[in-house]
Amino acid sequence: MEMSVLVLVLSFVILLALSVPIAFSIGIATTLTMLFTISSGPAVTTVAQRMATGIDSFALLAIPFFILSGQLMGQGGIARRLIDFAKVLVGMLPGGLAHVNVLASMFFGSISGSAVAATSAIGGFMIPIMNKEGYDKNFSAAVTVTASTTGLLIPPSNVLIVYSLASGGVSIAALFIAGYLPGILVGLGLIGVSTVIALLRKYPVGEKQSVIQGVKIFLDAIPSLCLVVIVIGGIIAGIFTATEASAIAVLYSLLLSVVVYREVKVSQLPEILLKTVETTAIVMLLIGTSSGMSWILSYENIPQNISTMLIALTNSKIIILLIINLLLLIVGTFMDMTPAVLIFTPIFLPVVTQLGITPLHFGIMMVLNLCIGLCTPPVGSVLFVGCGIAKTSIAGITKSLLPFYAVMVLVLMLVTYIPWITLVLPHLFGY
Amino acid sequence: NVRILKLAHVLDVTHPVHKAMVFMAQKVYKKSGGKMRVDIYPSGQLGAERELIELLQIGSLAMTKVSAGPMESFVPEMKIFSIPYAFRDEDHLWNVLNGKTGKQILLAGQKYYLRGLCYYDAGSRSFYTKDVPVNSPADLKGLKIRVMKSLTAVKMVQALGGSATPISWGELYTALQQGIVDGAENNPPSFYLSHHYEVCKYYTLDQHTFVPDILLISTRIWQQLSLQEQKWLQEAVNESVDYEKVLWKEASDHALAEVQKAGVKIIYPDKAPFEAAVKKMHESYRGTPIYSLLREIVNSK
Amino acid sequence: MAKVTRWINKIFSNFLIFLMASMVLVVSWQVFTRFVMHNPSSYTEELARFLLIWIGLLGAGYALHTRAHLGIDVLTYKLTGVKRQIVEIGVHSLIILFAFFVMILGGFRLVDLTFKLNQISAAMGIKMGYIYSVIPLSGLLIIFNSVDFIIKIVKKNPFGNLLN
Ligand code: NA
Ligand code: NA
Repeated sequence: MEMSVLVLVLSFVILLALSVPIAFSIGIATTLTMLFTISSGPAVTTVAQRMATGIDSFALLAIPFFILSGQLMGQGGIARRLIDFAKVLVGMLPGGLAHVNVLASMFFGSISGSAVAATSAIGGFMIPIMNKEGYDKNFSAAVTVTASTTGLLIPPSNVLIVYSLASGGVSIAALFIAGYLPGILVGLGLIGVSTVIALLRKYPVGEKQSVIQGVKIFLDAIPSLCLVVIVIGGIIAGIFTATEASAIAVLYSLLLSVVVYREVKVSQLPEILLKTVETTAIVMLLIGTSSGMSWILSYENIPQNISTMLIALTNSKIIILLIINLLLLIVGTFMDMTPAVLIFTPIFLPVVTQLGITPLHFGIMMVLNLCIGLCTPPVGSVLFVGCGIAKTSIAGITKSLLPFYAVMVLVLMLVTYIPWITLVLPHLFGY
Repeated sequence: NVRILKLAHVLDVTHPVHKAMVFMAQKVYKKSGGKMRVDIYPSGQLGAERELIELLQIGSLAMTKVSAGPMESFVPEMKIFSIPYAFRDEDHLWNVLNGKTGKQILLAGQKYYLRGLCYYDAGSRSFYTKDVPVNSPADLKGLKIRVMKSLTAVKMVQALGGSATPISWGELYTALQQGIVDGAENNPPSFYLSHHYEVCKYYTLDQHTFVPDILLISTRIWQQLSLQEQKWLQEAVNESVDYEKVLWKEASDHALAEVQKAGVKIIYPDKAPFEAAVKKMHESYRGTPIYSLLREIVNSK
Repeated sequence: MAKVTRWINKIFSNFLIFLMASMVLVVSWQVFTRFVMHNPSSYTEELARFLLIWIGLLGAGYALHTRAHLGIDVLTYKLTGVKRQIVEIGVHSLIILFAFFVMILGGFRLVDLTFKLNQISAAMGIKMGYIYSVIPLSGLLIIFNSVDFIIKIVKKNPFGNLLN
């Protein structure tokens, strides 16, 4: 056992350091480990089989569909309408535009499955406006980047679908419902931090809009907000599964952006489809090779051994959760969320379930933890996109991010040690 | 040097068949004086049933336990277990399985690198429904019934008048709850352990299929074993079969008692109209290799 | 060479667009047959899953052409010139090795095995070998795009200052 672990960890770390794309790093490290334990023909064939069967899941179909509907909504004028609506609600507060940014991200997050989509859709509009109004560009970027992660907790969420797969089938509907409160808590925390900073720096107070204008903007945003009702309402009410809901989301956003708003032309669709294929394929290759890695981990009994080791160390729930959170925060700094979920769920889940933590609670905790990592250097896909839009440097934005990290860690601690926050809504809906 | 055989399956550790395999592993260890070991990987940690069968063919896994259902994609003869009313009752089933025909089906997979070691009792499958009690095939009309991912299972439900909906087992509870399907079919322990009885209040014991579990070993790994090792393994397996039957009977009785306690109505229907409804389906196999096997079984004692 | 690359990737991208559009239609059809026709289709679920396998693996080969795969370049992003070239060539050589041994050799062995042993899919009854053939095919595309990338790097700076 010990040698194969050594081969796996060493080769994986070296490949990552050489900047081999992570899906291939996982695949190559897995293959080397398999060659170490199984004869060569069956070893490479098994990796090939895992690459295909790892993707062979109906639940995973929701990922390309939510990506596609996100693309359509981003280009179809839906993001802009949501921002206008957020302005009506919180625009008149001190540092109004920062709050608008957070709220719009939460709205957009509630119809899109990915944080990168939210960053580019909301940030693309909000950062230039904020800069014009005299906000520091690093602050604007920091707000955008952290706020976009709320969309990973507020359903629909592609990473929660990935977690459902990695955990061996926690209900996606339950995960979706469980994500609401933690996601809203993060959003409120970010609004709180923004308020303090805005007051300190005397950022402008937005203008109050007339009631008539507010109503008009609200009516204009209704079709976009309806998507939330259709998708999440449909899942909770039991009309369709998450996968079917995602297909409905595609059809609905197609209708909205092509027929109703007419901001996407039919001739643009092939390009949008191809962009979706590309994003999907990157996630699927990761899921495929990771499925090989978790196979060899199980084959070598590594999760059980780590679990036994951790529990031998201490049987205090509080301390083990703290250790796991610290490890995940470190992992999150250099690894993207999907591979981290795929690699560490099979390792940590057996540990925490032994301590009586439900897979549902653990999933939300893990995703929230890794949300922080998405915003930290050296590797953070959301951070990179935000920097690109704001035209700022990673060093510059990181300093502005510090208070936001702090509040996210605070919410993480609350969610970790108060299971009620995660579980109350799913229980209410009978999960 | 200890001979280690890795056995993976998808059942969880409370299941009677898992317990029987643990018993078998202990026997192997004792018989061989520690020279041979069977390591068990439960709960689908190495893959789903179809994938596990494939891993035996690939050669990276030695053994697996699967339902005969998914085997029909690999070994055509295994289709026989998914054909409704090929077996009249439990006695008929075990007479066939313990006889020449049973042995022949068990070893039919040998040329596909899948050598059957034994059948484990998995009882019989029957319909359970949410709102509509099923007393005869006519009651199935218009009901969406979940089936396993199997062409034969789809045909069976259609032959009996329902509309077949393939849904994965893990998604079934919510699908039943949400009304995506109106019912499903399985054996009593699965009906009980899956908590489907919380949603489905009618269980019609029509016993349409008897789908046993099958313990498989990769043919190539079997051939690598010495005659002595083969003997240890096969003996341990055979002893576990008897043990499993006892466990299964207990689990089955317990399950039926528990679901009744939870308010499920058990229906013992007249099987004749069900059998009549699938006559046409039996005839549809005429001219295919499975037909003679079907005739042979139906006409046997 | 550049022309051939563009041409081949154009064919694959069109094919992928077709697969993606089909997948949307297949799942929509599944919802339609259940809600409107009350007679759920028994093959759409399987077909959609197989389309996803093809899109996922073949798309991964295509994504190499657009350089969309994310690497972790904490240690390498500061490298410039020849050192950077060497790392990039090294990375793509490793990808080529993986694609060759696992996806082409391993994938071909899997395809061969499933054809020879005649495994069929559970709902549609099609040969699983056809589904798995995307693994070696994608392996070929990955190697093609990686070789193309290496050639581009070498060409960009054919007489790079090796003493630098
Ligand atoms: Na979301
Ligand atoms: Na990070």
